Amino acid sequence: MTTLTERAAALAAADGHDRRRPEAPGRRRYVPLLHRVAGINAALVVVAVTVTILVLAPGKVSALALDEEVAVVLGAVALVVLANLYLLRRIVGPLQALTRFARAVDLDRLRDRMPGAQPTSEAGELALTFNEMLSRLESERRASTARVLRAQEDERLRIAQELHDQVGQDLTAVLLGLSRVASQAPDELRGDVGSVQDAVRGSLEEVRRIALELRPEALDDLGLANSLAVLAERFSHQLGLEVDFTIAPDLPSLPGETELVTYRVAQEALTNVARHSASTRATLRLERGDGSLILTVRDYGLGMPRDTVAGAGIRGMRERAALVGARLELGNALSGSGCEVRLEVPLFEERG
Amino acid sequence: MTTVATKPSATQLEAREAPPERTRVLVVDDHPAIRAGLRELLADGADFHVVAAVSTAESGLAVAERDPVDVAVADYQLGGRTGLWLSRKLKRLPQPPAVLIYSAYADGLLAAAAVVAEADAIVSKGRLGADLCEAIRSVASGRRQLPLLPPRLGESVRCRLDPEQQAIFGLLLAGIAPAEAAATLGLSRPRLEAQLWEMLRRLEGPPG
Repeated sequence: MTTLTERAAALAAADGHDRRRPEAPGRRRYVPLLHRVAGINAALVVVAVTVTILVLAPGKVSALALDEEVAVVLGAVALVVLANLYLLRRIVGPLQALTRFARAVDLDRLRDRMPGAQPTSEAGELALTFNEMLSRLESERRASTARVLRAQEDERLRIAQELHDQVGQDLTAVLLGLSRVASQAPDELRGDVGSVQDAVRGSLEEVRRIALELRPEALDDLGLANSLAVLAERFSHQLGLEVDFTIAPDLPSLPGETELVTYRVAQEALTNVARHSASTRATLRLERGDGSLILTVRDYGLGMPRDTVAGAGIRGMRERAALVGARLELGNALSGSGCEVRLEVPLFEERG
Repeated sequence: MTTVATKPSATQLEAREAPPERTRVLVVDDHPAIRAGLRELLADGADFHVVAAVSTAESGLAVAERDPVDVAVADYQLGGRTGLWLSRKLKRLPQPPAVLIYSAYADGLLAAAAVVAEADAIVSKGRLGADLCEAIRSVASGRRQLPLLPPRLGESVRCRLDPEQQAIFGLLLAGIAPAEAAATLGLSRPRLEAQLWEMLRRLEGPPG
């Protein structure tokens, strides 16, 4: 489990800036291509002009050249060199732009593409190939994140079932046995048996809570809206967090993966509210946005300190959101106290 | 049912030997330790007689068809067909028993599905044995004790049902018997039965 989580975390770190390659100002240890080609061309022009003068007008060499002649020759050479520089820059410029773009690519959001990539020049071809590589990287990233998350969900389900089918049932059987003991025990032992019963019941309650947390019950069957309602009810019931939920009617059905991500984000957000916010009230909204579905969970508690470091929970939410191309924003609520977590899930895939 | 009466089975003989005032209980749970635990617990109570303790909904139904019982104590998750499937089936027997769902997950959602399956009570597996015995006595005397649906959850559950199913659900929730509900809504019996199965399918979690 830990290794899976770590791998998933490594795949998509919380902070986008971490994953950009730093601009290294002192890194360039070569003469740029533009300067090299321009220099060589300029040298060739100077040599060509000199040779031409020597061949065509050898008489003039021994004589002192007139100032005008020198000016014309130098001017012509300069013009040729500048024109050459301009033309070269047009060829090399796109390569430099591509280098800058490649450095700035955000590995968390592999959605940007190099603009103007057309197969009309070598540089364009290179940009096109680079874009294709980004697409491959993006789909590979998605596939591997999906695999990791799927493996994590399967593992959770297995543990939840094991807890429920094995530990929970065994504890229930113990409880039934204890009931018999209690009814037959001599009076002086009744109290002891009673406290053992209480302890077993406490454990059973705990096992059930963990199993429920691990497994988004009935998501496949009941759909997202009802599962969120059950989730909200459970937080109210078990943790005393009053969750006010508004779920828009007639929401479109989402792919299973997207529903799971939305459910997990809601679960994590509510867990964070219950653990950290010191708020006894939260609101959960699921509504339709412009071409998207928007989940909002907010509380009315302490809010997030400025220097909050993203923990495993927040990282997990981000990873999951990225998996389905959703946007996750979290921070202090714009009005009033408390935090807000907002997940925007696109309803139609932009690509592929 | 006459055919059943002419073929007395072992369990039937066992039932006949039991004093008539005892509550005949059928136990259905896929976990052997719980079956054993329930059997022993109920055997201690002088007013219970465990007719059979079986592991699947189908075998539970077979027992009850052969040999009428007063109360069926069934786990919700049985590794195949659920305790609520069993409840629906038992409630259509000539002498329907009271049904008590003994489940680890006794939440509101299960209560909604239990209303549709006409179960009489839900008891959490976290409750004490004495509480369970009390609940069995209670349903045997004809009382129902389903947990109340939280209003907001009820609303959300209703969203899952079509208008006709919502009407049926509302009547069942108000404690009106299915036959009466069908008459009130002008539904034929087969139509109501089909709708009830469909409602149960929509409200139940994945089996197993």
